[in-house]
Amino acid sequence: MLRFIARRLAIALGLLLVLSVLVYWLLTLALDPLDDLRSNPALNRDQLIEVRTAQLNLDAPWYVRYFDWLTSFVRGDLGVAWRSGQQVSNLLGGAIATSIQLVFAATCIALIVGVTIGLISALRQYTTFDYAITFASFVLFALPVFWVAVLLKQFLAIGVNDYLNRPSMNWPAVLGVSVVAGLFWAGAIATELRRQLIVFGIAFAVTLGVLCYALLSGWVLDPQLGVVGVALIGFGAAVAITVIFAGISNRRALYAALATAAAGVASWVGMQWLFLYVPMSELWLLGLMLIAVAVACLIGWLFGGPDRGVSMRGAAIVAVIMSIAVYVDRVLQGWDIYMGASIINRRPIATIGAQTPNLGGDFWISQLDRWTHLLLPTIALVLISFAGYTRYQRGSMLEVMNQDYIRTARAKGLSERVVITRHALRNALLPLASIVPVDFITMIGGAVITETIFNWSGMGRLFITSLTGSEIDPIMAYIMITGALAMIANLVADFVYGLLDPRIRVNA
Amino acid sequence: MSNDDNTREGAQWDGDPKSGFDPEPAIESDPIALLPGDSASTAGAADAVGRGEGVGTAKEVEGLSQGQIVWSRFLRHKGAMFGVAVLALIALLSYTAMGIGPIPGWWKYQSHTATSDIVNGAAPTLSWTGLGDHPFGQDNIGRDNFAMVLSGVQTSLLVMTVLGVMALLLGTLVGSVAGYYRGRSDTFLMRFTDLVITLPVIVLGAVLGKLVNTLPQTLNMTSDQTASLRENMPLLLAVFLGLILWPGLARLVRSEFLTLREREFVDAARVSGASDWRIITKHVLPNAVGVIIVNTTLTMSAAVVLEAALSFLGFGVTDPNVSLGKLISDYQAAFITRPWLFWWPGLFIILIALSVNFIGDGLRDAFDPRTKKIPSQRQMDKAAALLVKEPVK
Amino acid sequence: MSANNPGPKNAKSVSKGLEGAERLSKRIGGKVAMGDTILEVRDLGVRFWVNDDWFTAAQGLTYDLKAGEVLAIVGESGSGKTQSAMSLIGLLPKNGRATGSAKLKGTELIGMNLRQLQQVRGNEISVIFQEPMTALNPVYTVGFQIVETLRTHFLMQPTQARARAIDLMRLVEIPDPEDSFNKFPHQLSGGQRQRIMIAQALACDPGLLIADEPTTALDVTVQGEILKLMRDLRERVTAAIILITHDMGVVADMADRIVVMKDGKVVEHGTSDDIFYRPQHAYTKQLLASVPHLGSATADEDLTKTRLSLVAEGERTGVPMMQSDSSVTPALLMEDVAIEYPKAGRRAAFRAANHINLRVDPGEVIGLVGESGSGKTTIGRAAVALLPVVEGKLTVNGRDITNAKPGELKPFRKEVGIVFQDPGSSLNPRLPVGESIGEPILLHLGLKGAELSKRVENLLESVQLPRAMRNRYPHELSGGQRQRIGIARALALQPKLLIADEPTSALDVSVQARVLKLFQDLQAEYGFACMFISHDLAVVEMLSQRIAVMRHGYLVEVGPTKEIVSDPQHPYTKRLLSAVPVPDPAEQKRRRELRDAILEEQHIVS
Repeated sequence: MLRFIARRLAIALGLLLVLSVLVYWLLTLALDPLDDLRSNPALNRDQLIEVRTAQLNLDAPWYVRYFDWLTSFVRGDLGVAWRSGQQVSNLLGGAIATSIQLVFAATCIALIVGVTIGLISALRQYTTFDYAITFASFVLFALPVFWVAVLLKQFLAIGVNDYLNRPSMNWPAVLGVSVVAGLFWAGAIATELRRQLIVFGIAFAVTLGVLCYALLSGWVLDPQLGVVGVALIGFGAAVAITVIFAGISNRRALYAALATAAAGVASWVGMQWLFLYVPMSELWLLGLMLIAVAVACLIGWLFGGPDRGVSMRGAAIVAVIMSIAVYVDRVLQGWDIYMGASIINRRPIATIGAQTPNLGGDFWISQLDRWTHLLLPTIALVLISFAGYTRYQRGSMLEVMNQDYIRTARAKGLSERVVITRHALRNALLPLASIVPVDFITMIGGAVITETIFNWSGMGRLFITSLTGSEIDPIMAYIMITGALAMIANLVADFVYGLLDPRIRVNA
Repeated sequence: MSNDDNTREGAQWDGDPKSGFDPEPAIESDPIALLPGDSASTAGAADAVGRGEGVGTAKEVEGLSQGQIVWSRFLRHKGAMFGVAVLALIALLSYTAMGIGPIPGWWKYQSHTATSDIVNGAAPTLSWTGLGDHPFGQDNIGRDNFAMVLSGVQTSLLVMTVLGVMALLLGTLVGSVAGYYRGRSDTFLMRFTDLVITLPVIVLGAVLGKLVNTLPQTLNMTSDQTASLRENMPLLLAVFLGLILWPGLARLVRSEFLTLREREFVDAARVSGASDWRIITKHVLPNAVGVIIVNTTLTMSAAVVLEAALSFLGFGVTDPNVSLGKLISDYQAAFITRPWLFWWPGLFIILIALSVNFIGDGLRDAFDPRTKKIPSQRQMDKAAALLVKEPVK
Repeated sequence: MSANNPGPKNAKSVSKGLEGAERLSKRIGGKVAMGDTILEVRDLGVRFWVNDDWFTAAQGLTYDLKAGEVLAIVGESGSGKTQSAMSLIGLLPKNGRATGSAKLKGTELIGMNLRQLQQVRGNEISVIFQEPMTALNPVYTVGFQIVETLRTHFLMQPTQARARAIDLMRLVEIPDPEDSFNKFPHQLSGGQRQRIMIAQALACDPGLLIADEPTTALDVTVQGEILKLMRDLRERVTAAIILITHDMGVVADMADRIVVMKDGKVVEHGTSDDIFYRPQHAYTKQLLASVPHLGSATADEDLTKTRLSLVAEGERTGVPMMQSDSSVTPALLMEDVAIEYPKAGRRAAFRAANHINLRVDPGEVIGLVGESGSGKTTIGRAAVALLPVVEGKLTVNGRDITNAKPGELKPFRKEVGIVFQDPGSSLNPRLPVGESIGEPILLHLGLKGAELSKRVENLLESVQLPRAMRNRYPHELSGGQRQRIGIARALALQPKLLIADEPTSALDVSVQARVLKLFQDLQAEYGFACMFISHDLAVVEMLSQRIAVMRHGYLVEVGPTKEIVSDPQHPYTKRLLSAVPVPDPAEQKRRRELRDAILEEQHIVS
């Protein structure tokens, strides 16, 4: 096993080396560090050219320059972005962190939404719902992200910001959204016409009601969850999770999930106190969520029932959802203050950068600020990626549903719900294990356009600015990092897949 | 999925569960169920399979070769026909209006850089009654948007075609050799594709794009040479981009060849004394055509968006040429005051990419006979009603 | 059962294990005793909605089934046998509908709603499917899958269910059940997986078991074991069994009553004796006549005074080379040959055959038999130079082709032909069949155009196909027709040696009979030497003068057909022969007893 990993690493290293040579050579052809000077009308132009040539060693042949770069790189000296004079290592550190932030949320959302819709689409093959989803995926594939981003900036940023200052009721839009929501849920949940109508009716009414309440009561001006909202989310999640994964007849699992939700609501009070007196950080938040999950597992174990595992799993998921709900609630509590800040000036949706400089305020305000900045780029990224996941998962699920063991499961008398969640799902989700790590990690370096448009100082933008400015060192660093990450991602993907698939993990 | 822009390279469709999004297999020969009896007529139900497959298909396909069957299936695919129609219309419009090369078109503003007086507040004059002077409007200095957009369309179509052809030829050639002979060519191909796939497509594309733009300086060209290079920039860019898009297709062709060469008819041909060349060209390649064509169309669709994205960033097509991506980039700030400058180029990119996607999907459905239509619940209910009315036949 | 082999755990005690458990799914009707009628099927029909019309897959099925009885539904593909059984538990594809009536202990099954059906499935009626590898979910342990069935229908604690599952595994003779409980399907052999399927099916003590081609995907010896298991269980469990199969030998072994189906209709039904000894319908008679009956082809021959067959000694040696007339150039001569699959990518080179000593004289037909993994296909491929020989010497028609380069092989290729197993993939789907047939002629004789067409048409005629067929495409032809095309292609250059690699294994019985007859006629007419590779001993017996038996890459016994079939020497050959079921119930009964004795003697724990 170890030898296998070592071999793969060695090959990866070799590939990186070859890659570095090739790219460096291409860059020496592509970059012209003297281009702005050539058209400079200044009198000492030739002198300036000489100086820069010497500074960048442009007279030496490319392989000499490459060798210089390589020796420095290996020693940890990543070079200098000569236009600004900044050390590349400084630039990189911030860039990587920024890119990861950007990409993480988008990948999670795209994954969850895309996989779920893909699965449902497969189960509703050849229905109108399926065709609609497929058509939508096609359109989303064909959308150029830069075009979409500009649209988002206009409608979602400027539009919403304007709206928040002068709210009005837009009946056609609200009705339209409710109808679409109704159609979506009807197509996803039910197959017979009668049930579809019922689901449509309920979904339409609920969506309409929520939207009306939100807009008419002015909730949008100061969105808050409050303990009521958190409780609703918690109990709703408990019921939904139990129905899907354990079956409504599994009382123990239901009680465990509900108890976890109740515990979550109860802890809400304690949390407010904690947030007030203890300065928070991301680490704290992570720790608190882990504690919540542990407590949930305990509750699940205590409620037991014949299948402790099922109860624990359900309770754990509810705990995660509750933690997120409490977090969102606390963050939103700072909304009013945020809106009132002079820099924000009541226009919260941001289009530039990862955070507002010189904002001040405590941890929670900066969290809110982060989220408002993250909103648009995430939407842009999600729109494009989730279509891919939907198509993929649909195909994978269709293939699984045609397998013999699904027929066996049905022949054993298992309910359709169990057949899908227990037998089909595991096999259909398995291929994802090899795709998701690769996708996520390559997106870190690949979100070039989104970063450029929204002005995030991530890896992608670093690459673009350096390429435009003909700075070779940052580009090489970028290439090396991205390349290495991609290869590691592949290794991880193979490893994880091997771990999850018993046919590979356990050999006969 | 790996890039934010949908510049997905062919590499991600190699059917490998690790890195593709369509695990549907491309072609399978259509196994009509076995008949107890030797009449040269239709097949019965596929009993052992028990899924009603194979029932009734034989009737439709009598007397037709595989190619003809695929073609007729393709023609019946609504999405694909929509795609073909839209693409043809767009191509027709842009090439007749703006002309091809030296041949002029019928549109009055043949140049996309010429300015004229601002009419109608620069807003579009397109209406039910006619095209008017500036159907897509004008920009702030009076350039005609219709001319610009349609010229941009020409660039996109050119890039798409050249890229498609390059990927097709190179990909098929290398992929088939690697898949059939294995050995060294295979290792080379795999390592090379690994290399190319490592970096996001847009990164390599940007570098190459910049390279093309810097060529005059690098090669110390004269101003004449530079001018002619600039004119043919889109073509050159397409060629360079083709160099990074072909490995994806090659990988797919390779895996298809790997499967096909294990088939018994290949062994039979070998025993008959066929040479390797004959086996590849007459036996394996015709059976791999489905996968190749489908994925070439997908590559072409990605190419359109890739070129637009690169032009948007400034590393693709630059002045004096025009590209839809460049138009969007130039006019993104004008969105509030002159939105037509922004909508029309985007619309055309979407239409082209969408049409090609639909065509690709139609082709895939045409080549893959496995996707049998299972009727929906409503159809079954209607059919059941029929059953009640007619007793057992 | 002798004292040494105590047999499976008493099934009665196994069903007792369920008595205390609370039922989640209702039981239909009351307690059933042996001999009660539990299934009444009247005019059952199945249709499919295809291309906007109803297609009838089965119609007019009427039968009664009693507890403890085995009903065999026999038919070839397209007869509707599987669909009619699947319709009992509503397992038809979405576009299928069942009509008529099927009453399980008085309760109507056709038209039951899904929830009620789910209580019947697995609980009252269980199914055993054909392909055990794909029928079990690869990501869950086999133990879990059995426990799942139990806990769906009974309110059981996990530990209780586990104990019962292990009992069931012991009942079906899985070795080391506690350990095997945690194994995944891919870790078990084919036979063991099928046993797990049986255990799973019996878990809830069902009244009816539907076995859909349960042994078709298994090797002959494994099939014998599974059939034996099913017979034993049958005696101890009150379940009735519907056995769906196309194999008349299996039917003769197991069935009490038989329903014969053709094209969706029942052509004949009756007791096992009635059908086998007094068939009435023409189709039944034809079907029985088409089934190869082991021992019947050589029944009239006498054993020679001196034994001519050669037997391998010990585990890793092959059969020595036979003595023969050195004046005759053998069509095929393999001297201590070893064959390897070359290294391909990550997979290491794999030695499939060792120490092969084989000789085929001109005009002789030798049958090569063995189970999966025996290496018989490898020998066939090596004989036509599709696989490299790494040791020893391979001579065809006097020409040494052991290490021949591709160029040297050209003249050799004129003299051999090969017919493949799968008619679906042995013809290029893109070419009209005439071109496929004509390819060898084109490549070796350089004939084109009209001359080539004439030759092709002559070949088509010799395999009894219409001349006009040469412009058809493979997908328009049936399996039997495609196989004839394959034969025509193999004979195009009038080879001296023909390798037939399982040519009829993928065909229905009646088609197989016709193709085999064609084969015999062609062999008599053209006089080519032939190596007939098959796993079906009865078929091989019909055609060959000599038989070679292979196991795990070694030849274990070679000799004249009569000797091998009537008086085998090697223990494996004896086992193999005894496991082949014959389509004659009385004879099959005798053979079963013989087989038990043989297994006893060899101390094989099945």
